[in-house]
Amino acid sequence: MHIQLPRLRITAALLVLALLGAGCGGDNEPDRSVEGIAADIFGGNCVASTDTTVTIYSGRTENLIEPVLDAFSCETGIDVAVRWGDSAQLALLLDEEGDRTQADVFLSKSPGPVGFLEAEGLLATIDESVLSLVAEQNRSDAGSWVGFSGRKRVAVYNIDAVTEAQLPESIFELTDEAWRGRVALPATNGSFVDWFTVFRDQAGTDVATQWLNDMVANDAKYYANNRAIVEAAGRGEVDIGLVNHYYNYQEAAAIGEDHRALNHDLGDEDIGSLLIITAATVTGASDNPEEANELVRYLLSEPVQRYFTDDTFEYPLADGVAPADILPPLTALEIGSVDFDALGGGFEETTRIIDASGIANQ
Amino acid sequence: MTMPTLRRSPRSLRGVSIVLAFLFAFPGLYLVWRNISTDADLIGLLRSDRTLAPLWRTLKLAVAVAASAALVGTALAWLTMRTDLAMRRVWRTLLPLPLVFPTFIGAAAFIRTLNPGGLANGLFASLGLQDPLELRGFFGAWFVLTLFTYPYVYLPVAARLTRLSGSLEESARVLGDTAWQTFRRIVLPQTSAAMAAGTLLVFLYTISDFGAVQLMRYDTLTRAIETNYLAQPAVAFALSLLLLLLAVVVVGGERALGPRTAVADSSRSSRPVTYELQRWKIPAQLFVLLVGGLSVGAPMVALTDWAIDGLRRAWFNGRPLAIDGAEVFEAARNTLETSVLAALVAVLAVLPIAFLVGRYRSRTGSASHAVVIATFALPGILIALSLRFWALRFGAIGEFFTDSKALLIFAYVVRFGSLAMGITLIAVQAVPDRFHDVGSTLGASRWRRLRTIDLPLMAPGLLAAAGLVLLSTMKELPISLIVAPLDYPTLTTRIFGSFEEAFVAEAGIMALVLVVMSAVLSWFLVLRRAEHR
Repeated sequence: MHIQLPRLRITAALLVLALLGAGCGGDNEPDRSVEGIAADIFGGNCVASTDTTVTIYSGRTENLIEPVLDAFSCETGIDVAVRWGDSAQLALLLDEEGDRTQADVFLSKSPGPVGFLEAEGLLATIDESVLSLVAEQNRSDAGSWVGFSGRKRVAVYNIDAVTEAQLPESIFELTDEAWRGRVALPATNGSFVDWFTVFRDQAGTDVATQWLNDMVANDAKYYANNRAIVEAAGRGEVDIGLVNHYYNYQEAAAIGEDHRALNHDLGDEDIGSLLIITAATVTGASDNPEEANELVRYLLSEPVQRYFTDDTFEYPLADGVAPADILPPLTALEIGSVDFDALGGGFEETTRIIDASGIANQ
Repeated sequence: MTMPTLRRSPRSLRGVSIVLAFLFAFPGLYLVWRNISTDADLIGLLRSDRTLAPLWRTLKLAVAVAASAALVGTALAWLTMRTDLAMRRVWRTLLPLPLVFPTFIGAAAFIRTLNPGGLANGLFASLGLQDPLELRGFFGAWFVLTLFTYPYVYLPVAARLTRLSGSLEESARVLGDTAWQTFRRIVLPQTSAAMAAGTLLVFLYTISDFGAVQLMRYDTLTRAIETNYLAQPAVAFALSLLLLLLAVVVVGGERALGPRTAVADSSRSSRPVTYELQRWKIPAQLFVLLVGGLSVGAPMVALTDWAIDGLRRAWFNGRPLAIDGAEVFEAARNTLETSVLAALVAVLAVLPIAFLVGRYRSRTGSASHAVVIATFALPGILIALSLRFWALRFGAIGEFFTDSKALLIFAYVVRFGSLAMGITLIAVQAVPDRFHDVGSTLGASRWRRLRTIDLPLMAPGLLAAAGLVLLSTMKELPISLIVAPLDYPTLTTRIFGSFEEAFVAEAGIMALVLVVMSAVLSWFLVLRRAEHR
């Protein structure tokens, strides 16, 4: 009896049809496919290929940046080859490859891996003309990295479990009895570790460590990453969590009304409102530094920065580009005094502190 | 029965095995080197409670999962292969499927379906249950990993059960044994090698898993390793070495428990016995339904929900997906071609070692076997980095292979060869000695005997081994990211790229494509043939 074969064939056929259908958007709406978005960024005719290739190791996922790279190739004629992956793993790979690496550019989702590579001496200096496109605090003093988009730390909360009046203004409120067992922290996730390192830098290691220990004593829950917290908050499994802002937009868009969570901005002056930058670097071993700098410059150009804010809900970092309306405005602390350069070897100590707090056991 | 002979193994076979073992040892050697180069202090770490506590949790979890996966896998194999269970042919295709879910999305899908507020909420409520399940911690990790790993036991045991001739069992029944006694005294000894091989793999998989335990928020050794790669590399490498040593101890221990020789099936003349369940029919049906429903159904519910939500948005709300058909097709094609190749090469690679261990009492063979299997406990990222390391050191040859599909296949084979090793060994041992004796008496050369006697009899086992490697390769992630040629996406790498940034619809669709592909492939290559006996 081969009943299951036709069933499998039908399922497979349906899926294929579904996928083909997914490729066709409506005719009247603006074309938001990869080609459409790329055309938005650069609408002209493509320049002939110049036979040069920029190789990128990207910790930033292809869904978020592929249209930009397509537009780049079209506009400049420079081909792009990409290795997609996790920022930390790619940094490890770059370290292993040393000066034999094929990569020209490394894009990191958060500052930590960049700090690691800088300490290993694997980064080249970016052109001054590119560095000057962003404000001073969003680029390296030594010129080894430049931020090209920003993600804001927020508190995502379940709207059924937390009323607006109850929302905290500061992370220090979360150690109160009222929040016992209700707060989620992605304590070992890259962006949290980076944020905590800045926290230590700004407020002092003692204050930061005390806060973390208090959170553990207050039964804070440990979650694997930002997405897991946002999804859990949407279901009501957890009441509130400290995450990056743009996950909730994605999750809400994907799941719709069943997702019962919203973002809440902590106070302007509170460290919980920090802006974490995504960084672009040029590798020291690059054979094509000119083209590499071209690419980094492109990431900071106005149409691309507009794309980052309008389409992926991030904060643009190039001077002169305003964030999309849907995003809460940036204020003093966020674009202010954080010197990511100074963080350097701070990540090691941070990891030790987080480990010692026992948060991963909650 | 194939007992290891006292004849000295052919030198060529030993030579080949040593070379193969060395290739499989690349990651281990790299790890030792990194421990030396970063001045890692493994002994010091072992004295610290911050290492001992996660180590204990890792062990606890691995033992628990191994036990439950062994039970579940064996019971399911028995029920679907040897009884008159309803719809057993359908179950044979479905039950190995959990193997194909990448854990980083599979565990998340479980959470989305079963946890409070999840998709099964409505169903639970209608049954009068309020939030009955919250998968987290030890329970969550054990639950999810058991359901993901029982196929490691199910596949070899099922392959073994189809090969057993029914004559011994029939004799036992005629002589008065009950069904249970027959099972215990005849069937179990004959399948214990398969069970042990599968259970060992489950243990090794569990100690090295990161995706599932992390989402379940259970703090094991792998978490300590992951978080320290950049911050404190010495610690990460030392702990990874600890994992490897643990694996070596366990694998060595399993061998030391005595070579379990598989009793060879004597002839094809008698078909396997089919048992009637009678009053056990309903409980058995419920059991299979429960396990199959949970292991395949629960994640599929979440994946389908994500996928359908996304498609609905794309068609009706003008918010197109971030992926299109062409990209999915390309990723699927890449996945298919590399997985099939990896499966074939893996089986070929372990065959010499299997022959060495199965036919001859060879220390070289045992050592090679241990090296291959222990490698399974190493996290994929380490295997990827180690191959990059070695490729860079081989100069021009290394350059040539860097960024090629060949290196990728090689990496997969090193990563998953262990899966093929156990089943292939059993297949080798299952060929009766006397066939060889007869063959050589009749003048057939060693190669001719291999071709006409061994390979046909080993075929179902070899196909099961290949199938296991195939399914595991299709869901592999770190090697596919780090070692693959540039711009060479696989389904799993694309799923990862989408899922981590909360593009759940895209991830769900591609995960469904992966599952369907795996189901079709495993039916086509393995199960269909297993049935034609």
